[in-house]
Amino acid sequence: MTSLSAAHDTPLAAPGRASLWFRVRRGAWGYVFVSPWVLLYLVFGLYPLALSFYLTFFDYSFVNPENRAFVGIGNWVQGITDPLYWRGIWNIVLNQAVFITLKNGIGLITAALLFRITWGARFFRTIYFLPVITSTVVLMTIGDNIASPGGPVQRWMIDAGILDQPVFWKTYDTLPMIVIALINTWKWFGISTVILLAGMYGIDPRLYEAAAVDGARGWDMFRRITLPMLRPQLFFLLVVDVINGLQMFTEVFSIGFSIYGGVNNQALTPVLYLYAQAFDRANVGYASTLGLLLAFLIAGLTALQFRFIRSDAD
Amino acid sequence: MLIKEGAVEKLKRVSPSQVLTYLILTLGAIVVVYPFFFMVNNSVKTGREILHSSWSLPSKITFTGYTGVFEELDVLLLFKNSLILAVSITLLNALLSALAGYAFAKIPFPGRGRIFGFMLLTMMIPGVLFLIPTYVLIYNIGWVGRYEALIIPSAVSVFNIFLVRQFMVGIPDELVEAARIDGAGEIRIFLRIILPLARPALATVAILTFMGSWNDFFGPLLYLNRPDRWTLQLGLLQFRGTVPGENSEQIWALTTLITLPIVVVYFFIQEQFVKAFANVSLSK
Repeated sequence: MTSLSAAHDTPLAAPGRASLWFRVRRGAWGYVFVSPWVLLYLVFGLYPLALSFYLTFFDYSFVNPENRAFVGIGNWVQGITDPLYWRGIWNIVLNQAVFITLKNGIGLITAALLFRITWGARFFRTIYFLPVITSTVVLMTIGDNIASPGGPVQRWMIDAGILDQPVFWKTYDTLPMIVIALINTWKWFGISTVILLAGMYGIDPRLYEAAAVDGARGWDMFRRITLPMLRPQLFFLLVVDVINGLQMFTEVFSIGFSIYGGVNNQALTPVLYLYAQAFDRANVGYASTLGLLLAFLIAGLTALQFRFIRSDAD
Repeated sequence: MLIKEGAVEKLKRVSPSQVLTYLILTLGAIVVVYPFFFMVNNSVKTGREILHSSWSLPSKITFTGYTGVFEELDVLLLFKNSLILAVSITLLNALLSALAGYAFAKIPFPGRGRIFGFMLLTMMIPGVLFLIPTYVLIYNIGWVGRYEALIIPSAVSVFNIFLVRQFMVGIPDELVEAARIDGAGEIRIFLRIILPLARPALATVAILTFMGSWNDFFGPLLYLNRPDRWTLQLGLLQFRGTVPGENSEQIWALTTLITLPIVVVYFFIQEQFVKAFANVSLSK
């Protein structure tokens, strides 16, 4: 259609060229409408992207950008062998193992329960979603005080005989990341509830009817029908959780740890560490390298998930 | 009469397993709400009482936390700074993602497919990669300590354009074509036809963008870390470190003040909030 009318418009020019020029002119407003994004993306997207690679080859500081020294792949070697960076990765792996299991497990259970009830599902959903919309800094302030040695949770655990004495968990080696995972579970499980519940509403009821005819009962139906049918939703949740989890910063910082994650780096995360490198030690090139390393790690993990879980599901 | 019969019917249908279901769900709701209760409860106690028993109900309700925090901290300035950022970022995103979304959905222009594909590709890049180079860029422009540092780079997000575009693809082409034949220009079509129809998608964009900016901590920490530019989140963190234990009710008053407006809005339009955040439709 377009090329035909274009040929009519400018019969003297070569058809291919004329039609392209005509289509460009006809779609001119399209270029105008996308241009704000394109301009912003060139300046605040592509340029930083290129800069991040460039910076990795230099010893660079904000204050004296002229005094940058070329270090080759030195930053990369340092990053790959930096024990603190890997300590951060390990902390996050521990944190996310607990968080992803609990958040999506609780989300699945609450969704299954909400799916069963006829009245009040909306009310419970509204409540469960409340922490999702609340700010991380506020929730970590509350979580810190509730979990503190003098706080209500430990008092209750001592009263119930679960603990002998108050636990100063922030000084422990592994407890900080686990406690943060618990608080984050409380903040985010509502997302899983809602997404999985929507998935359950989308399952064809005839599947359950057919299974009931075959004599299947509640648990069998859940395991054989509900869970497999929810694979797309569970996969989506897992991918997003891993991407967000590896970039954790605010939680650790706002629950009161220093930018090095405590004296023994017990709560250090990769982003906390690259923040410390850039703004405490003024190693901007090195911090940029750590950011790239983390981005590659995230991209690799996401690709692995698509490769091994998605292909399984299809 | 009819209503009564229905009620009886409902009561009859409640089985022991249903009772158990409601019991677990209620227990879950209590666990979810308790921390909020803890916060509000402590905001009306004295700091001394919080130190001794942060779990107990107030022996006497006091508002020294609220009066105290207003004396110690310019709370209204924090609200103002947070609002300036959240409102301008939200308006810019709604406008620019509507424009780009419309172009990608309804205006055929050469290269559209390629640009859109490229846009989707950039959506996959983890944000952490941009952290340091963007800071270097903003530092060199001279925006550190200015609102522009957070507003301009966040003026439009690829995710929002994608969201609006997906919605606008569903608007029938005939509507747009008919208007074009009638001689309406693209700006007129955009304002008169597309914008009103795209309101649900724009509501999602607005809620997500506003909440993202309102709750953002890292951005203000990086770029606006000076007292006259503090946002609510950054102000809370900085304030927390300066409050002596016997005045800790001020912290709880501040967290309550930060949380309350959002929660009130949430309860009025919770369906839109849930839809926006979970990006799902919830019709049963």
